[in-house]
Amino acid sequence: MESFLASVGDFLNSVGPLIVLPVVITLLGIILGQRPDRAFRSGLLTAVAFVGIFLTVGLLGDTVSKIGQDFAKATGTGLSIIDIGWPAASALAFGTPVGNLIIPIGILINVVLLLLGLTQTLDIDIWNFWHMAFVGAIVQFVTGSFGLALIAAAVSMVIALFLADWSAPLIQKYFKYPGLSIPHLQSAGYMLYAVPFALVLNRISFLRKLNLDPDTIRRRLGVLGEPIVLGLIIGILLAALARQSVVDVLTTGVNIAAVMLLIPRMVSILMEGLTPVAEAARDFMTKRFAGRKFHIGMDSAILIGNPAVIASGLLMVPIEIALALLLAPLGNQTLPFIDLADGVFVTAMLAPLVAGDVLLTVILGSIVMGTGLIFTTLLSPAVTQMVTAAGSAVSLPSGYASYTVMSDAAIPVTYVMYYIFQSPAILALIISAIALVLLYFLKARFPLGERLFRIDVPSDSDEGVGESAAPASD
Amino acid sequence: MKKVYLVCATGIATSTMLRVKIEDYLEDHGIEADIRQFRVAELNASRLDADVIISTTSIPDEIRERATVVDGIPLITGQGDKEVLQKVVDILNS
Repeated sequence: MESFLASVGDFLNSVGPLIVLPVVITLLGIILGQRPDRAFRSGLLTAVAFVGIFLTVGLLGDTVSKIGQDFAKATGTGLSIIDIGWPAASALAFGTPVGNLIIPIGILINVVLLLLGLTQTLDIDIWNFWHMAFVGAIVQFVTGSFGLALIAAAVSMVIALFLADWSAPLIQKYFKYPGLSIPHLQSAGYMLYAVPFALVLNRISFLRKLNLDPDTIRRRLGVLGEPIVLGLIIGILLAALARQSVVDVLTTGVNIAAVMLLIPRMVSILMEGLTPVAEAARDFMTKRFAGRKFHIGMDSAILIGNPAVIASGLLMVPIEIALALLLAPLGNQTLPFIDLADGVFVTAMLAPLVAGDVLLTVILGSIVMGTGLIFTTLLSPAVTQMVTAAGSAVSLPSGYASYTVMSDAAIPVTYVMYYIFQSPAILALIISAIALVLLYFLKARFPLGERLFRIDVPSDSDEGVGESAAPASD
Repeated sequence: MKKVYLVCATGIATSTMLRVKIEDYLEDHGIEADIRQFRVAELNASRLDADVIISTTSIPDEIRERATVVDGIPLITGQGDKEVLQKVVDILNS
Protein backbone atom coordinates (compact mmCIF):
# COMPACT_ATOMS: atom_id res chain seq x y z
CA MET A 1 0.00 0.00 0.00
CA GLU A 2 2.68 2.40 1.10
CA SER A 3 4.83 1.73 -1.97
CA PHE A 4 1.78 1.98 -4.23
CA LEU A 5 0.92 5.38 -2.77
CA ALA A 6 4.53 6.47 -3.04
CA SER A 7 4.56 5.64 -6.73
CA VAL A 8 1.26 7.52 -7.19
CA GLY A 9 2.88 10.50 -5.47
CA ASP A 10 5.99 10.26 -7.65
CA PHE A 11 3.85 9.97 -10.76
CA LEU A 12 1.77 13.06 -9.90
CA ASN A 13 4.93 14.97 -9.11
CA SER A 14 6.64 14.07 -12.37
CA VAL A 15 3.61 14.89 -14.52
CA GLY A 16 3.07 18.19 -12.70
CA PRO A 17 0.10 20.38 -11.88
CA LEU A 18 -0.28 21.74 -15.41
CA ILE A 19 -1.52 18.33 -16.49
CA VAL A 20 -2.81 16.55 -13.38
CA LEU A 21 -5.11 19.16 -11.86
CA PRO A 22 -6.96 19.94 -15.12
CA VAL A 23 -7.52 16.22 -15.71
CA VAL A 24 -8.80 15.77 -12.15
CA ILE A 25 -11.08 18.81 -12.46
CA THR A 26 -12.46 17.67 -15.83
CA LEU A 27 -13.13 14.10 -14.66
CA LEU A 28 -14.60 15.26 -11.36
CA GLY A 29 -16.88 17.69 -13.19
CA ILE A 30 -18.16 14.90 -15.46
CA ILE A 31 -18.67 12.52 -12.51
CA LEU A 32 -20.63 15.24 -10.68
CA GLY A 33 -22.89 15.70 -13.68
CA GLN A 34 -21.37 18.63 -15.58
CA ARG A 35 -21.55 18.76 -19.37
CA PRO A 36 -18.25 17.33 -20.71
CA ASP A 37 -17.41 20.42 -22.79
CA ARG A 38 -17.91 22.72 -19.79
CA ALA A 39 -15.96 20.38 -17.53
CA PHE A 40 -13.12 20.37 -20.04
CA ARG A 41 -13.15 24.17 -20.24
CA SER A 42 -12.95 24.37 -16.43
CA GLY A 43 -10.02 21.99 -16.44
CA LEU A 44 -8.20 23.89 -19.16
CA LEU A 45 -8.79 27.17 -17.37
CA THR A 46 -7.12 25.81 -14.20
CA ALA A 47 -4.09 24.81 -16.30
CA VAL A 48 -3.93 28.25 -17.89
CA ALA A 49 -4.19 29.81 -14.44
CA PHE A 50 -1.23 27.76 -13.26
CA VAL A 51 0.90 29.04 -16.13
CA GLY A 52 0.00 32.61 -15.18
CA ILE A 53 0.51 32.04 -11.48
CA PHE A 54 3.92 30.48 -11.93
CA LEU A 55 5.00 33.39 -14.13
CA THR A 56 3.96 35.94 -11.54
CA VAL A 57 5.41 33.89 -8.68
CA GLY A 58 8.68 34.17 -10.62
CA LEU A 59 8.34 37.95 -10.51
CA LEU A 60 7.56 37.74 -6.80
CA GLY A 61 10.61 35.57 -6.19
CA ASP A 62 12.91 37.90 -8.11
CA THR A 63 11.68 41.03 -6.40
CA VAL A 64 11.15 40.01 -2.81
CA SER A 65 14.05 37.66 -2.30
CA LYS A 66 16.49 40.43 -3.20
CA ILE A 67 14.87 42.94 -0.90
CA GLY A 68 14.64 40.35 1.89
CA GLN A 69 18.35 39.66 1.76
CA ASP A 70 19.24 43.36 1.56
CA PHE A 71 16.85 44.17 4.40
CA ALA A 72 18.25 41.51 6.72
CA LYS A 73 21.84 42.57 5.98
CA ALA A 74 21.32 46.33 6.23
CA THR A 75 19.18 46.34 9.37
CA GLY A 76 20.82 43.48 11.23
CA THR A 77 17.37 42.23 12.26
CA GLY A 78 17.85 38.79 10.76
CA LEU A 79 14.43 38.98 9.12
CA SER A 80 15.44 37.15 5.96
CA ILE A 81 12.49 34.82 5.37
CA ILE A 82 10.01 36.30 2.94
CA ASP A 83 6.26 35.96 3.25
CA ILE A 84 4.97 35.07 -0.23
CA GLY A 85 1.30 35.55 0.64
CA TRP A 86 -1.73 33.31 0.35
CA PRO A 87 -2.51 33.80 -3.35
CA ALA A 88 0.82 32.28 -4.37
CA ALA A 89 0.61 29.67 -1.61
CA SER A 90 -2.83 28.52 -2.73
CA ALA A 91 -1.54 27.73 -6.21
CA LEU A 92 1.59 26.04 -4.83
CA ALA A 93 -0.56 23.90 -2.53
CA PHE A 94 -2.95 22.86 -5.32
CA GLY A 95 0.12 22.10 -7.42
CA THR A 96 1.54 19.52 -4.98
CA PRO A 97 0.68 15.81 -5.38
CA VAL A 98 -1.72 16.00 -2.41
CA GLY A 99 -3.20 19.20 -3.82
CA ASN A 100 -3.96 17.50 -7.13
CA LEU A 101 -6.23 15.07 -5.32
CA ILE A 102 -7.51 17.20 -2.44
CA ILE A 103 -10.83 18.20 -4.03
CA PRO A 104 -12.25 14.69 -4.57
CA ILE A 105 -10.77 13.56 -1.24
CA GLY A 106 -12.25 16.52 0.63
CA ILE A 107 -15.69 15.98 -0.88
CA LEU A 108 -15.53 12.27 -0.03
CA ILE A 109 -14.58 12.94 3.60
CA ASN A 110 -17.34 15.51 3.94
CA VAL A 111 -19.98 13.16 2.51
CA VAL A 112 -18.87 10.27 4.75
CA LEU A 113 -18.92 12.44 7.89
CA LEU A 114 -22.36 13.79 6.98
CA LEU A 115 -23.66 10.25 6.42
CA LEU A 116 -22.26 9.17 9.79
CA GLY A 117 -23.82 12.23 11.43
CA LEU A 118 -20.41 13.34 12.76
CA THR A 119 -20.60 16.79 11.21
CA GLN A 120 -23.41 19.23 10.42
CA THR A 121 -21.33 21.17 7.90
CA LEU A 122 -21.70 20.69 4.16
CA ASP A 123 -18.58 22.39 2.87
CA ILE A 124 -19.25 23.94 -0.54
CA ASP A 125 -16.09 26.03 -0.29
CA ILE A 126 -14.07 23.67 -2.51
CA TRP A 127 -11.57 26.41 -3.24
CA ASN A 128 -10.33 26.51 0.34
CA PHE A 129 -9.47 22.82 0.34
CA TRP A 130 -6.03 24.17 -0.57
CA HIS A 131 -5.40 24.84 3.12
CA MET A 132 -5.71 21.11 3.78
CA ALA A 133 -3.45 20.43 0.78
CA PHE A 134 -0.96 22.85 2.32
CA VAL A 135 -0.90 20.83 5.55
CA GLY A 136 -0.44 17.70 3.43
CA ALA A 137 2.46 19.28 1.57
CA ILE A 138 4.12 20.28 4.84
CA VAL A 139 3.77 16.73 6.17
CA GLN A 140 5.10 15.31 2.91
CA PHE A 141 8.15 17.52 3.41
CA VAL A 142 8.62 16.25 6.99
CA THR A 143 7.97 12.57 6.41
CA GLY A 144 8.73 12.13 2.72
CA SER A 145 5.64 9.95 2.60
CA PHE A 146 2.80 10.65 0.17
CA GLY A 147 0.50 8.32 2.15
CA LEU A 148 1.07 10.20 5.42
CA ALA A 149 0.63 13.49 3.59
CA LEU A 150 -2.76 12.36 2.34
CA ILE A 151 -3.75 11.28 5.85
CA ALA A 152 -2.59 14.61 7.30
CA ALA A 153 -4.64 16.50 4.71
CA ALA A 154 -7.64 14.31 5.53
CA VAL A 155 -7.20 14.92 9.26
CA SER A 156 -7.06 18.68 8.70
CA MET A 157 -10.22 18.45 6.59
CA VAL A 158 -11.99 16.81 9.56
CA ILE A 159 -10.53 19.44 11.89
CA ALA A 160 -11.88 22.21 9.63
CA LEU A 161 -15.36 20.66 9.62
CA PHE A 162 -15.35 20.19 13.41
CA LEU A 163 -14.15 23.76 13.99
CA ALA A 164 -16.94 24.96 11.68
CA ASP A 165 -19.57 22.99 13.65
CA TRP A 166 -18.13 24.22 16.93
CA SER A 167 -18.18 27.90 16.00
CA ALA A 168 -21.38 27.81 13.92
CA PRO A 169 -23.85 29.11 16.56
CA LEU A 170 -21.56 32.05 17.43
CA ILE A 171 -20.86 32.93 13.79
CA GLN A 172 -24.51 32.63 12.79
CA LYS A 173 -25.71 34.89 15.60
CA TYR A 174 -22.90 37.45 15.57
CA PHE A 175 -22.75 37.91 11.79
CA LYS A 176 -26.47 37.17 11.28
CA TYR A 177 -25.92 34.37 8.78
CA PRO A 178 -28.37 31.65 9.80
CA GLY A 179 -27.54 28.26 8.32
CA LEU A 180 -23.90 28.98 7.50
CA SER A 181 -20.65 27.81 9.06
CA ILE A 182 -17.01 28.51 8.27
CA PRO A 183 -14.75 25.47 7.69
CA HIS A 184 -12.00 27.82 6.51
CA LEU A 185 -8.73 27.17 8.31
CA GLN A 186 -7.25 30.55 7.39
CA SER A 187 -9.63 32.03 10.01
CA ALA A 188 -11.13 29.11 11.96
CA GLY A 189 -7.66 27.65 12.51
CA TYR A 190 -6.94 30.37 15.09
CA MET A 191 -10.09 30.02 17.17
CA LEU A 192 -9.27 27.10 19.44
CA TYR A 193 -6.02 28.74 20.45
CA ALA A 194 -7.58 32.20 20.91
CA VAL A 195 -10.53 31.07 23.06
CA PRO A 196 -8.72 30.87 26.42
CA PHE A 197 -7.20 34.32 25.86
CA ALA A 198 -10.59 35.70 24.87
CA LEU A 199 -12.15 34.34 28.07
CA VAL A 200 -9.56 36.26 30.09
CA LEU A 201 -9.70 39.47 28.01
CA ASN A 202 -13.48 39.61 28.30
CA ARG A 203 -13.08 39.88 32.10
CA ILE A 204 -10.78 42.92 31.94
CA SER A 205 -13.41 45.61 31.84
CA PHE A 206 -11.20 48.73 31.48
CA LEU A 207 -9.87 47.49 28.13
CA ARG A 208 -13.35 47.39 26.69
CA LYS A 209 -14.09 50.92 27.92
CA LEU A 210 -11.50 52.34 25.49
CA ASN A 211 -13.97 51.44 22.75
CA LEU A 212 -12.08 52.17 19.49
CA ASP A 213 -14.46 53.22 16.74
CA PRO A 214 -14.21 50.87 13.75
CA ASP A 215 -15.50 53.42 11.22
CA THR A 216 -12.89 56.05 12.11
CA ILE A 217 -10.12 53.48 11.81
CA ARG A 218 -11.42 52.29 8.48
CA ARG A 219 -11.50 55.83 7.13
CA ARG A 220 -8.01 56.68 8.40
CA LEU A 221 -6.31 53.45 7.39
CA GLY A 222 -8.55 52.59 4.45
CA VAL A 223 -5.69 53.20 2.02
CA LEU A 224 -3.95 50.15 3.49
CA GLY A 225 -6.93 48.12 2.29
CA GLU A 226 -5.99 48.80 -1.31
CA PRO A 227 -3.41 46.17 -2.23
CA ILE A 228 -1.43 48.12 -4.83
CA VAL A 229 -1.07 51.12 -2.52
CA LEU A 230 -0.14 48.90 0.40
CA GLY A 231 2.34 47.10 -1.87
CA LEU A 232 3.92 50.36 -2.96
CA ILE A 233 4.21 51.64 0.61
CA ILE A 234 5.66 48.42 1.99
CA GLY A 235 7.99 47.99 -0.97
CA ILE A 236 9.36 51.51 -0.66
CA LEU A 237 9.62 51.31 3.12
CA LEU A 238 11.48 48.02 3.21
CA ALA A 239 13.72 48.91 0.26
CA ALA A 240 14.61 52.20 1.92
CA LEU A 241 15.41 50.43 5.19
CA ALA A 242 17.49 47.99 3.14
CA ARG A 243 19.45 51.07 1.91
CA GLN A 244 18.84 50.44 -1.75
CA SER A 245 19.47 53.36 -4.13
CA VAL A 246 16.59 55.77 -4.82
CA VAL A 247 15.84 54.26 -8.22
CA ASP A 248 15.91 50.75 -6.75
CA VAL A 249 13.64 51.82 -3.90
CA LEU A 250 11.02 53.14 -6.28
CA THR A 251 11.39 50.16 -8.61
CA THR A 252 10.94 47.78 -5.70
CA GLY A 253 7.83 49.67 -4.62
CA VAL A 254 6.27 49.39 -8.06
CA ASN A 255 7.26 45.72 -8.36
CA ILE A 256 5.64 44.85 -5.03
CA ALA A 257 2.53 46.77 -6.08
CA ALA A 258 2.54 44.70 -9.26
CA VAL A 259 2.86 41.46 -7.31
CA MET A 260 -0.03 42.49 -5.07
CA LEU A 261 -2.26 42.94 -8.11
CA LEU A 262 -1.00 40.37 -10.62
CA ILE A 263 -0.85 37.19 -8.56
CA PRO A 264 -4.42 37.64 -7.27
CA ARG A 265 -5.58 38.28 -10.87
CA MET A 266 -4.05 34.96 -11.91
CA VAL A 267 -5.51 33.22 -8.88
CA SER A 268 -8.85 34.61 -9.90
CA ILE A 269 -8.55 32.65 -13.17
CA LEU A 270 -7.95 29.52 -11.11
CA MET A 271 -11.11 30.34 -9.14
CA GLU A 272 -13.00 30.78 -12.38
CA GLY A 273 -11.91 27.31 -13.46
CA LEU A 274 -12.92 25.76 -10.14
CA THR A 275 -16.26 27.54 -9.78
CA PRO A 276 -18.35 25.31 -12.09
CA VAL A 277 -16.93 22.22 -10.37
CA ALA A 278 -17.66 23.73 -6.99
CA GLU A 279 -21.24 24.36 -8.08
CA ALA A 280 -21.59 20.84 -9.45
CA ALA A 281 -20.24 19.46 -6.17
CA ARG A 282 -22.60 21.66 -4.18
CA ASP A 283 -25.64 20.56 -6.18
CA PHE A 284 -24.53 16.92 -6.02
CA MET A 285 -24.23 17.04 -2.22
CA THR A 286 -27.28 19.17 -1.45
CA LYS A 287 -29.44 16.85 -3.59
CA ARG A 288 -28.27 13.84 -1.64
CA PHE A 289 -28.76 15.45 1.73
CA ALA A 290 -32.05 17.14 0.93
CA GLY A 291 -34.39 17.43 3.88
CA ARG A 292 -31.56 17.13 6.39
CA LYS A 293 -30.46 19.93 8.61
CA PHE A 294 -26.96 21.14 7.93
CA HIS A 295 -24.84 24.25 7.90
CA ILE A 296 -23.51 25.35 4.52
CA GLY A 297 -19.74 25.73 4.85
CA MET A 298 -18.43 28.96 3.33
CA ASP A 299 -15.27 31.02 2.93
CA SER A 300 -14.54 33.30 5.92
CA ALA A 301 -14.35 36.08 3.32
CA ILE A 302 -18.11 36.53 3.78
CA LEU A 303 -17.46 37.76 7.35
CA ILE A 304 -14.96 40.42 6.38
CA GLY A 305 -17.30 43.31 5.59
CA ASN A 306 -18.02 43.52 9.31
CA PRO A 307 -16.69 46.91 10.53
CA ALA A 308 -14.85 45.47 13.55
CA VAL A 309 -13.19 42.84 11.36
CA ILE A 310 -12.03 45.38 8.75
CA ALA A 311 -10.79 47.88 11.34
CA SER A 312 -8.85 45.33 13.35
CA GLY A 313 -7.54 43.74 10.14
CA LEU A 314 -6.14 47.10 9.00
CA LEU A 315 -4.57 47.67 12.42
CA MET A 316 -2.83 44.32 12.04
CA VAL A 317 -0.65 45.77 9.23
CA PRO A 318 1.61 47.90 11.47
CA ILE A 319 1.23 45.43 14.33
CA GLU A 320 2.51 42.48 12.31
CA ILE A 321 5.58 44.48 11.26
CA ALA A 322 6.19 45.58 14.86
CA LEU A 323 5.76 42.01 16.12
CA ALA A 324 8.23 40.73 13.54
CA LEU A 325 10.87 43.21 14.77
CA LEU A 326 10.12 42.70 18.47
CA LEU A 327 10.21 38.93 18.18
CA ALA A 328 13.43 38.85 16.15
CA PRO A 329 15.54 38.27 19.28
CA LEU A 330 13.22 35.38 20.21
CA GLY A 331 13.79 33.55 16.97
CA ASN A 332 11.50 35.19 14.44
CA GLN A 333 13.10 35.50 11.02
CA THR A 334 9.90 36.11 9.05
CA LEU A 335 9.58 39.41 7.25
CA PRO A 336 5.81 40.04 6.93
CA PHE A 337 5.08 41.01 3.38
CA ILE A 338 2.33 40.02 0.97
CA ASP A 339 -0.12 38.74 3.59
CA LEU A 340 -0.03 42.10 5.35
CA ALA A 341 -2.88 42.86 2.96
CA ASP A 342 -5.01 40.14 4.51
CA GLY A 343 -4.97 40.64 8.26
CA VAL A 344 -8.76 40.56 8.02
CA PHE A 345 -8.63 36.77 7.69
CA VAL A 346 -6.84 36.58 11.02
CA THR A 347 -9.34 38.82 12.79
CA ALA A 348 -12.51 37.55 11.07
CA MET A 349 -13.31 34.87 13.61
CA LEU A 350 -11.57 36.49 16.57
CA ALA A 351 -13.87 39.52 16.62
CA PRO A 352 -16.99 37.58 17.68
CA LEU A 353 -15.06 36.10 20.63
CA VAL A 354 -14.79 39.60 22.13
CA ALA A 355 -18.17 40.88 20.92
CA GLY A 356 -16.58 42.94 18.16
CA ASP A 357 -14.44 45.15 20.38
CA VAL A 358 -11.67 46.43 18.08
CA LEU A 359 -8.95 46.75 20.72
CA LEU A 360 -9.60 43.28 22.16
CA THR A 361 -9.72 41.79 18.65
CA VAL A 362 -6.35 43.37 17.87
CA ILE A 363 -4.91 42.03 21.14
CA LEU A 364 -6.10 38.53 20.22
CA GLY A 365 -4.72 39.03 16.71
CA SER A 366 -1.35 40.04 18.14
CA ILE A 367 -1.27 36.96 20.35
CA VAL A 368 -2.02 34.53 17.53
CA MET A 369 0.30 36.29 15.07
CA GLY A 370 3.06 36.55 17.68
CA THR A 371 3.30 32.79 17.95
CA GLY A 372 2.31 32.66 14.27
CA LEU A 373 5.53 34.39 13.24
CA ILE A 374 7.56 31.80 15.12
CA PHE A 375 5.58 29.06 13.33
CA THR A 376 6.13 30.70 9.94
CA THR A 377 9.87 30.80 10.66
CA LEU A 378 9.95 27.14 11.68
CA LEU A 379 7.93 26.05 8.62
CA SER A 380 10.03 28.05 6.20
CA PRO A 381 12.15 25.11 4.93
CA ALA A 382 8.97 23.28 3.89
CA VAL A 383 7.49 26.32 2.13
CA THR A 384 10.79 27.13 0.44
CA GLN A 385 10.86 23.61 -0.94
CA MET A 386 7.32 24.05 -2.31
CA VAL A 387 8.38 27.29 -4.00
CA THR A 388 11.53 25.85 -5.52
CA ALA A 389 9.70 22.71 -6.69
CA ALA A 390 7.25 24.92 -8.57
CA GLY A 391 10.05 27.29 -9.50
CA SER A 392 11.94 24.61 -11.41
CA ALA A 393 9.23 25.06 -14.04
CA VAL A 394 9.69 28.82 -14.27
CA SER A 395 13.39 29.38 -13.55
CA LEU A 396 12.86 30.90 -10.13
CA PRO A 397 16.09 31.96 -8.43
CA SER A 398 16.23 28.77 -6.38
CA GLY A 399 18.48 28.26 -3.39
CA TYR A 400 18.76 32.00 -3.09
CA ALA A 401 16.22 32.89 -0.46
CA SER A 402 13.95 31.43 2.17
CA TYR A 403 10.20 31.73 1.87
CA THR A 404 7.22 31.26 4.12
CA VAL A 405 3.56 32.17 4.04
CA MET A 406 1.87 33.95 6.91
CA SER A 407 -1.69 33.01 6.01
CA ASP A 408 -1.12 29.31 6.54
CA ALA A 409 2.18 28.64 8.24
CA ALA A 410 1.00 30.88 11.11
CA ILE A 411 -2.11 28.80 11.77
CA PRO A 412 -1.68 26.72 14.94
CA VAL A 413 -3.42 23.76 13.25
CA THR A 414 -0.74 23.69 10.52
CA TYR A 415 2.13 23.88 12.96
CA VAL A 416 0.66 21.25 15.28
CA MET A 417 0.30 18.82 12.35
CA TYR A 418 3.88 19.57 11.33
CA TYR A 419 5.03 18.93 14.89
CA ILE A 420 3.01 15.74 15.37
CA PHE A 421 4.22 14.21 12.13
CA GLN A 422 7.83 14.57 13.17
CA SER A 423 7.15 11.62 15.51
CA PRO A 424 7.16 8.05 14.19
CA ALA A 425 4.20 7.54 11.87
CA ILE A 426 2.20 5.27 14.17
CA LEU A 427 2.50 7.71 17.07
CA ALA A 428 1.51 10.63 14.82
CA LEU A 429 -1.58 8.74 13.67
CA ILE A 430 -2.62 7.86 17.24
CA ILE A 431 -2.17 11.46 18.40
CA SER A 432 -4.18 12.78 15.43
CA ALA A 433 -6.98 10.32 16.18
CA ILE A 434 -7.09 11.36 19.85
CA ALA A 435 -7.09 15.04 18.84
CA LEU A 436 -10.05 14.48 16.52
CA VAL A 437 -12.01 12.68 19.26
CA LEU A 438 -11.31 15.49 21.75
CA LEU A 439 -12.31 18.10 19.21
CA TYR A 440 -15.51 16.20 18.52
CA PHE A 441 -16.46 16.27 22.20
CA LEU A 442 -15.53 19.92 22.46
CA LYS A 443 -17.84 20.85 19.60
CA ALA A 444 -20.64 18.60 20.82
CA ARG A 445 -20.49 19.72 24.46
CA PHE A 446 -19.29 23.31 24.33
CA PRO A 447 -20.52 24.93 21.13
CA LEU A 448 -19.39 28.53 20.80
CA GLY A 449 -22.24 30.99 21.10
CA GLU A 450 -24.20 28.48 23.22
CA ARG A 451 -22.25 27.25 26.24
CA LEU A 452 -19.24 29.50 25.61
CA PHE A 453 -19.52 33.15 24.50
CA ARG A 454 -23.27 32.94 24.66
CA ILE A 455 -25.15 35.34 22.39
CA ASP A 456 -28.91 35.59 22.69
CA VAL A 457 -30.89 36.73 19.71
CA PRO A 458 -34.64 37.12 19.39
CA SER A 459 -35.97 34.02 17.68
CA ASP A 460 -37.87 35.97 15.00
CA SER A 461 -34.58 36.94 13.33
CA ASP A 462 -34.12 33.33 12.21
CA GLU A 463 -34.25 33.70 8.47
CA GLY A 464 -31.90 33.49 5.55
CA VAL A 465 -30.05 30.94 3.50
CA GLY A 466 -30.04 27.24 4.22
CA GLU A 467 -31.81 25.28 6.86
CA SER A 468 -31.75 27.04 10.16
CA ALA A 469 -29.12 25.53 12.32
CA ALA A 470 -29.72 22.83 14.87
CA PRO A 471 -27.01 23.39 17.46
CA ALA A 472 -25.23 20.29 18.61
CA SER A 473 -26.94 19.15 21.80
CA ASP A 474 -25.53 17.27 24.77
CA MET B 1 -23.66 50.66 -20.20
CA LYS B 2 -24.85 49.78 -16.70
CA LYS B 3 -22.14 49.06 -14.20
CA VAL B 4 -22.19 46.02 -11.93
CA TYR B 5 -19.75 45.84 -9.04
CA LEU B 6 -19.02 42.42 -7.62
CA VAL B 7 -17.63 42.77 -4.14
CA CYS B 8 -16.06 40.34 -1.71
CA ALA B 9 -13.37 40.41 0.94
CA THR B 10 -10.45 39.84 -1.41
CA GLY B 11 -11.76 40.85 -4.82
CA ILE B 12 -10.59 37.41 -5.94
CA ALA B 13 -12.42 34.52 -4.45
CA THR B 14 -16.17 34.70 -3.96
CA SER B 15 -16.48 37.70 -6.30
CA THR B 16 -15.08 35.51 -9.10
CA MET B 17 -17.72 32.90 -8.33
CA LEU B 18 -20.30 35.69 -8.60
CA ARG B 19 -18.83 36.81 -11.93
CA VAL B 20 -18.99 33.33 -13.47
CA LYS B 21 -22.63 33.11 -12.43
CA ILE B 22 -23.67 36.66 -13.38
CA GLU B 23 -21.87 36.69 -16.75
CA ASP B 24 -23.50 33.44 -17.78
CA TYR B 25 -26.92 34.63 -16.73
CA LEU B 26 -26.72 38.06 -18.35
CA GLU B 27 -25.39 36.54 -21.57
CA ASP B 28 -28.30 34.09 -21.64
CA HIS B 29 -30.70 37.01 -21.23
CA GLY B 30 -28.98 39.24 -23.78
CA ILE B 31 -28.11 41.94 -21.27
CA GLU B 32 -24.84 43.80 -21.61
CA ALA B 33 -23.18 45.26 -18.56
CA ASP B 34 -19.80 46.44 -17.39
CA ILE B 35 -18.86 43.96 -14.67
CA ARG B 36 -16.02 44.72 -12.29
CA GLN B 37 -14.64 43.02 -9.19
CA PHE B 38 -13.59 44.81 -6.02
CA ARG B 39 -12.49 44.07 -2.52
CA VAL B 40 -14.79 45.60 0.08
CA ALA B 41 -12.02 47.59 1.77
CA GLU B 42 -11.18 49.48 -1.44
CA LEU B 43 -14.71 50.71 -2.15
CA ASN B 44 -14.79 54.47 -1.89
CA ALA B 45 -18.11 56.25 -1.48
CA SER B 46 -16.87 59.35 -3.29
CA ARG B 47 -15.91 57.58 -6.52
CA LEU B 48 -18.64 55.04 -6.74
CA ASP B 49 -20.42 54.71 -10.08
CA ALA B 50 -22.15 51.34 -9.75
CA ASP B 51 -25.74 50.79 -10.80
CA VAL B 52 -25.82 47.72 -8.62
CA ILE B 53 -23.42 46.15 -6.13
CA ILE B 54 -23.60 42.43 -5.57
CA SER B 55 -21.65 41.47 -2.49
CA THR B 56 -20.84 38.33 -0.54
CA THR B 57 -19.85 40.34 2.49
CA SER B 58 -21.48 43.18 4.38
CA ILE B 59 -21.20 46.65 2.85
CA PRO B 60 -20.60 49.85 4.89
CA ASP B 61 -23.62 52.16 5.23
CA GLU B 62 -21.97 55.07 3.40
CA ILE B 63 -21.70 52.85 0.29
CA ARG B 64 -25.24 51.58 0.68
CA GLU B 65 -26.50 55.15 0.56
CA ARG B 66 -25.07 55.59 -2.95
CA ALA B 67 -25.85 52.35 -4.74
CA THR B 68 -28.31 49.49 -4.66
CA VAL B 69 -26.73 46.58 -2.83
CA VAL B 70 -27.83 42.99 -3.46
CA ASP B 71 -26.82 40.10 -1.20
CA GLY B 72 -24.76 37.70 -3.34
CA ILE B 73 -24.51 34.83 -0.85
CA PRO B 74 -27.53 32.98 -2.31
CA LEU B 75 -25.62 32.80 -5.61
CA ILE B 76 -22.87 30.89 -3.81
CA THR B 77 -25.03 28.61 -1.69
CA GLY B 78 -27.46 27.96 -4.54
CA GLN B 79 -30.44 28.55 -2.24
CA GLY B 80 -32.52 31.45 -3.47
CA ASP B 81 -30.17 32.20 -6.37
CA LYS B 82 -32.95 32.56 -8.97
CA GLU B 83 -34.53 35.41 -7.01
CA VAL B 84 -31.23 37.24 -6.72
CA LEU B 85 -30.50 36.90 -10.44
CA GLN B 86 -33.99 38.17 -11.25
CA LYS B 87 -33.50 41.15 -8.93
CA VAL B 88 -30.24 42.05 -10.68
CA VAL B 89 -31.87 41.80 -14.11
CA ASP B 90 -34.75 44.01 -12.94
CA ILE B 91 -32.31 46.66 -11.72
CA LEU B 92 -30.29 46.56 -14.97
CA ASN B 93 -33.42 46.79 -17.09
CA SER B 94 -34.92 49.65 -15.12
